[in-house]
Amino acid sequence: MLSASEIRKVVEERNVHQKGTGKKVVDVREEMHRLEDKGELIVHRIRPENRPVEAKTLFGWTKRIPTDRLWHHKSCGQCGNIPGYPSSLLWLMNETGRTYLNEPHQTSCTAWNYHGTATSNPTALAAVAARNFHRAYETDHFPLIHCGTSYGDYKEMRKLLVENAAVRTKVREVLRKMGRDLVLPEEIVHYSEWVHAMTPEIVARQSRSVTGIVATVHEPCHYYKMVPEDAVYDDRVYAGQRPAVPSGILMSLGATVADYSTWYDCCGFGFRHILSEREFSRSFANLRKIRPMVEEAHADVAITSDTGCVTTLDKSQWIGKAHGLSYLLPVLSDVQFAALALGAHPYKIAQVHWHSASAEGLLEKMGIDWKSAKAEFQEYLRALQSGAAPELLHPAHGEIETFFAVNKGQVLPDEAPGAPVAGAGPDVRRGPRE
Amino acid sequence: MSIVAYLPRRALSLAEEEAAAPPAFELTGRRKLSEAERTLAGQIFGEFRADPRHHEFVLGCINCGECTTGCPAARFYDFSPREMLQIALTGDATTLWDALQEKIWSCCQCYTCNMRCRFGNDIAGIISVMRELSVRHGVEATRKTLAPFGRSLTLLMTVGTQVSSDMIQPDFFRDWGPFATGSDKVWNVSADIMRKAIPSDVLQTTRSSWEVSVQTSLELFRIYEETGVLDMLRGLDPDLTEMLIDIIEERREEFSEARERFATELAGMKGTVATFSG
Repeated sequence: MLSASEIRKVVEERNVHQKGTGKKVVDVREEMHRLEDKGELIVHRIRPENRPVEAKTLFGWTKRIPTDRLWHHKSCGQCGNIPGYPSSLLWLMNETGRTYLNEPHQTSCTAWNYHGTATSNPTALAAVAARNFHRAYETDHFPLIHCGTSYGDYKEMRKLLVENAAVRTKVREVLRKMGRDLVLPEEIVHYSEWVHAMTPEIVARQSRSVTGIVATVHEPCHYYKMVPEDAVYDDRVYAGQRPAVPSGILMSLGATVADYSTWYDCCGFGFRHILSEREFSRSFANLRKIRPMVEEAHADVAITSDTGCVTTLDKSQWIGKAHGLSYLLPVLSDVQFAALALGAHPYKIAQVHWHSASAEGLLEKMGIDWKSAKAEFQEYLRALQSGAAPELLHPAHGEIETFFAVNKGQVLPDEAPGAPVAGAGPDVRRGPRE
Repeated sequence: MSIVAYLPRRALSLAEEEAAAPPAFELTGRRKLSEAERTLAGQIFGEFRADPRHHEFVLGCINCGECTTGCPAARFYDFSPREMLQIALTGDATTLWDALQEKIWSCCQCYTCNMRCRFGNDIAGIISVMRELSVRHGVEATRKTLAPFGRSLTLLMTVGTQVSSDMIQPDFFRDWGPFATGSDKVWNVSADIMRKAIPSDVLQTTRSSWEVSVQTSLELFRIYEETGVLDMLRGLDPDLTEMLIDIIEERREEFSEARERFATELAGMKGTVATFSG
């Protein structure tokens, strides 16, 4: 136990540091714009072409959610082992007539690794974030972050880059070596916020009733516990006392969102644990999440909006049988559920076959003829095996993009030979602040 | 026999304890350090307290325990975020060294403790600082803890994604059941065909989470080189680091050859594609 004098000493050091560096920033976005005015960085604006919709954050701040002309910042976990997650989102964008780029010129945020093994550091994480941000800017498409951890990490990195001049300088120096510049997007936007903004358009296209489906929501920790002031809340969802996503879309589609006692707990992912110490992950997921969802809320499905959460809650259940926990509650992302409600193919689009806990019982409750869909999918697999071309949601990339980050948009101003330089002059993406 | 019989008749003096044969732990739980460990512990402690994030993340603590009541790891491990914060506040290098041996790796990094803390401490953040130092200095316990991560670190360093579908193999993910680990067997087609049935060309790979262009992976590696990540990794696993450098050198050659091959298409293009040399 520390003595009071030791505690006071640390607190005093903190006060001196804070006063000396002037680091107290209330809304980091305001400071970001001031830094742009000084030529320190470029703010990637949300423009009318992005068709923004306003939402409110935990602190009551206005957050502009772009709904069109988006750059998909994919999640390594989603794409790696639950690919129906990104494909459902792309499908919803096609259905609602939104344009986007889904490129091979993106890295992950690398924060799964950082939170799991710490084999990185904040400057590297900030540079990775800024490289992806610049790539989105270079194509004139606004970044849309698929993963909750990437979203939380990027908000932390935005704060770090805005508040810490030394990190900013170092990151700019690194980026310049690859012809890039320091760009921060006007907002850091999670895909579930896009879903929230698009709710009226999504619901208008609903073709399958989900009335009678009981859903329990697992709120991803890194969506609302990292930089919590920026997460979207809505008075119409839990009276604004819990995040609006992903509960809002489920309620709007007509599902019953049921409460359970451990809603605030994490899923058990643990970053390191899910790969090398899964006895913890599966114990936590089964005992603290799935069991209350089934026994207290009698859920038909668990819905969440992050990579690690779908993975942990779904994949941990099969082994539960060894301990008499045979719940096998389907676990889907909000976009998989919404896509199914809009008529998406459960295997070709929602790709439910990658999930450990079978979704077929849920599909039946939703009135989906999964047996026919499954037979159709098996036929499709046979066709692929015979050399048929796969069905795609967007045009395929050319061979040149295996190597080069081709600038599809060709949007750079003529006067700039390489990447735009902060404060260098007119740029179509900059323009006045709104 | 009563447990009282095991208790010493009187407390030993420090000199008597040090003179005594192992156990390595004293009754207080404090580890007995070798000279080399004591030096390293002191160095790590100095760097820890000098890290600017210590001032940013550690604001104070009244031992209320709110952080621990919500902590998932505290339910299953001998771990408490309250204790971690107290250790961050301590002036004793040995106490920090003890935490680096195991406890820091129990944390789930869920940030629940941060959300609950009335002081606004960034407890998850300060644990990450401890972990970084432990990696950078190649603390033996950390090497062991992170030994299973060679494959995912290779992916991460070379293409920038944490997992690939071909990592989900039955021998390592048996507990995930037949669908997650062997969907190709369930559907009676190869893993390649299962990936081909995903309706986006960039996702139709088994070797990474998505196809990553060579330019992108080289840019990422440049970041690692410039920001000290490679040096950190060298402290943890020098062999892996050398292997990664070899892989990237091959990619650089490949990139250079591709620039000649696509010279016509690349002519007149703007942006980084025109300027990045690998």
